[in-house]
Amino acid sequence: MDKKAGVIDKEAPVQTVRDTQELLRAPAGAPLVPLPLEVVVPEARQQTPAVRQRATRPDARMHGLGQTKYIDDFYLPGMLYARVKRAGIASARILSIDTKDAEAMPGVVAVLTGRDVPCNSFGPSLKDQPVLASERVFHAGDGVAAVAAVTEQIANEALEKIKVEYEPIRPVLDPLESLHLETPGIHAPNPNIYGHKVIKKGDVEKGFAQSYRIFEASYRTQMVEHVPLEPHSTVATWDANGRVTIYSSLGRITLGRSDIARTLAVPMSRIRIVATVVGGNFGGKNEIRTEPVVALLAKKTGRPVKYTFTRPEEFTSSTTRHPLVMDYKTGVSKEGRILARQIRLVLDGGAYCSWSETTLAKALILSAGPYNIENLAAEAFVVYTNKTMTGAMRGFGAPQVCFAYESQMDDIAKALDIDPLQIRLLNVLREGSLSPTGQTLQSVVVRETLLQAAQRFGWNGAGKGTRA
Amino acid sequence: MKRRGRGIACMWYPIGFTASANPSAAVVKVNEDGTATLLTGTVETGQGSLTILAQIVAQELGIATDDVHVVSADTDTTPIDTGAIASRTTYVTGNAARLAAAEAKQILFQVAAPVMGVEPDHLEVSDHKIQVKGFPQRSMHIGDVAERARGVKGQLPIGSASFNPATVPLDPETGQGKPFATYVYATQIAEVDVDDETGEVDVLRVVASHDCGTPINPMLVEGQVEGGISMGVGFALEEEMLFDANGRLVNPNLTNYIMPTSLDMPKVEVDIVDSYDPTGPFGAKGVGEPTCVATAAAILNAIHDAVGVRITSLPATAEKVHAAMKAARAQEPRSLTAG
Repeated sequence: MDKKAGVIDKEAPVQTVRDTQELLRAPAGAPLVPLPLEVVVPEARQQTPAVRQRATRPDARMHGLGQTKYIDDFYLPGMLYARVKRAGIASARILSIDTKDAEAMPGVVAVLTGRDVPCNSFGPSLKDQPVLASERVFHAGDGVAAVAAVTEQIANEALEKIKVEYEPIRPVLDPLESLHLETPGIHAPNPNIYGHKVIKKGDVEKGFAQSYRIFEASYRTQMVEHVPLEPHSTVATWDANGRVTIYSSLGRITLGRSDIARTLAVPMSRIRIVATVVGGNFGGKNEIRTEPVVALLAKKTGRPVKYTFTRPEEFTSSTTRHPLVMDYKTGVSKEGRILARQIRLVLDGGAYCSWSETTLAKALILSAGPYNIENLAAEAFVVYTNKTMTGAMRGFGAPQVCFAYESQMDDIAKALDIDPLQIRLLNVLREGSLSPTGQTLQSVVVRETLLQAAQRFGWNGAGKGTRA
Repeated sequence: MKRRGRGIACMWYPIGFTASANPSAAVVKVNEDGTATLLTGTVETGQGSLTILAQIVAQELGIATDDVHVVSADTDTTPIDTGAIASRTTYVTGNAARLAAAEAKQILFQVAAPVMGVEPDHLEVSDHKIQVKGFPQRSMHIGDVAERARGVKGQLPIGSASFNPATVPLDPETGQGKPFATYVYATQIAEVDVDDETGEVDVLRVVASHDCGTPINPMLVEGQVEGGISMGVGFALEEEMLFDANGRLVNPNLTNYIMPTSLDMPKVEVDIVDSYDPTGPFGAKGVGEPTCVATAAAILNAIHDAVGVRITSLPATAEKVHAAMKAARAQEPRSLTAG
């Protein structure tokens, strides 16, 4: 094959890093063009006033050229690779963890269990997540031991040699089952319901009594993952003064630092966290995840350590979106005006609290919809189950409750023979409206968005049920 | 046969944390040539927040976006920021960045005022210049002022500020209070085709009208809306983590956890509604999370419009829609509800 430099041979197979000697000598991802590149600054970045300009992002150029350095692109001399053994059982008591065979493997430099973690708990509100489970497993994605080895392959093989004895405990998977008080507490002695909030406005019973029709329905949503393109990734290295630098895909570094300081029992001044452009967050990288394990392995081995989640770990061992069970009862006038609404939300919190308290409050406050409702009674619970923990995810419960209140809105419109656009215009919040929590609202433009979208779409009140 | 339907959904969404402090701090340094550096503890997560912050600082200083370099994401060098969460960066970090830039600007005004023979509060910035209000011909280049600040006055144009949205805690009995400083609003309308034999749903088009206050960068707002809609399509129709009876996840991979690809994306038409919030930086609120809120609701309403079945549990997979249509056909009178 002709390999003349600079000539593109369309017949030749696609070259990979593995079969190209020149590329093998360069670090992975390094450019084959000299830097800096000729920089052409788009006009919108050079204009004043700057606000309202369609300015391009400097990182977009990096992405486009494959120049962005994510955490997994970092390499430090002598770096080791970490892997974590996952429980694979949803609920169990840990009887024993035997790491002897793994430690004896050539290439394995250190093994870590929950007993080695100075403070083995964390969480953005309730500190109920272990760094590594040492006594109880609360969901199948719990880590039970970690390994640092000279290659990722050896670290993976070492996980197979770690023997963990479990005494299985019946898992609770359904949030409504967990809600029942007779269910044994998953985190006994703490109750399964770990968050509860109410909103009361006006008098719902009176509102229902005055209603022309009352609509009742129940809605459910599923658990979904953020699926960032970049999995969670961390590199940690200590210096001789006992200061640790953590390169992390974390999206909230300044608060992550205080959580890491707590788990490591190290003053915050001895921790430096450096992030790069995060390759997708959507809420999933808003709390510490692998950082304490990586920092402790780096400390134990005296070498830099890297740990990047596999795609399955991204699903089993990072936070996800809360599934909701939503009961809606809505009373309306003959004209379609909402007179009263009663709501019960049950959030499946998964194994740990994470950002559940925020999700609970946001879902509850937003559950009435962007509507003027004088009589409202809303209640929300969040419960533990033995599933992947749910936490922050784009919308914090809002997409779930929007699905419920907007489904019911269309059912009401249909039953009363009112156009779906018109029933919304009749009920929406206006400038100065009182929110469900009694807040006077400003810059309220929901009506304008309805009219603008309807105009763009060509909604004109007719043509319901048209056929393709 | 494919049946077409359309569905509408509107929503509201708050900016910032729920009735709890979520401050951000920022430092702005004006260089001797009139360019500037912003230090922020937030992390770019691909949404363009650093560009938005650069635009806000540039606007406050009367310079261009490209003149502002943003240093972020290092706890050794950047001030505390609650982070890229709760759709708060433009509003909260943006307010902090604007206040920090305003403080640096005031130092420049103090340096420029005696040179131009006016009081500092008679000055304004415009297009890389510091000028007298009402007399734009009396001006100095911002770089000349910054150089004079360093070399003559010894007074450095560095500003720092923090911002925290005003909230009132919720009453535990009634839930009454002011949990958020401000909210945004949106409407999305979806058009779908539903195959009435297989239950397969094809989202053809989503029209989205969003409020974000002043759009600091309309292009990045559109990007957020398109990304949010792709997430909403997955939530509506495909994505679901499935557990077996023992609580083990059966689809922890992208082979069996089905997400929308670019081929599944509908045609998206984005409008930004006129809006201004006096508490936001230059009237801006935020847009990150709200973009994915109404999509699934609009799609599910469109399915109902197309084939007359109300799916009450997400995702509305082809199997579920098919089963609901079958149940509806089997029943007289036709049921409109199926799980």
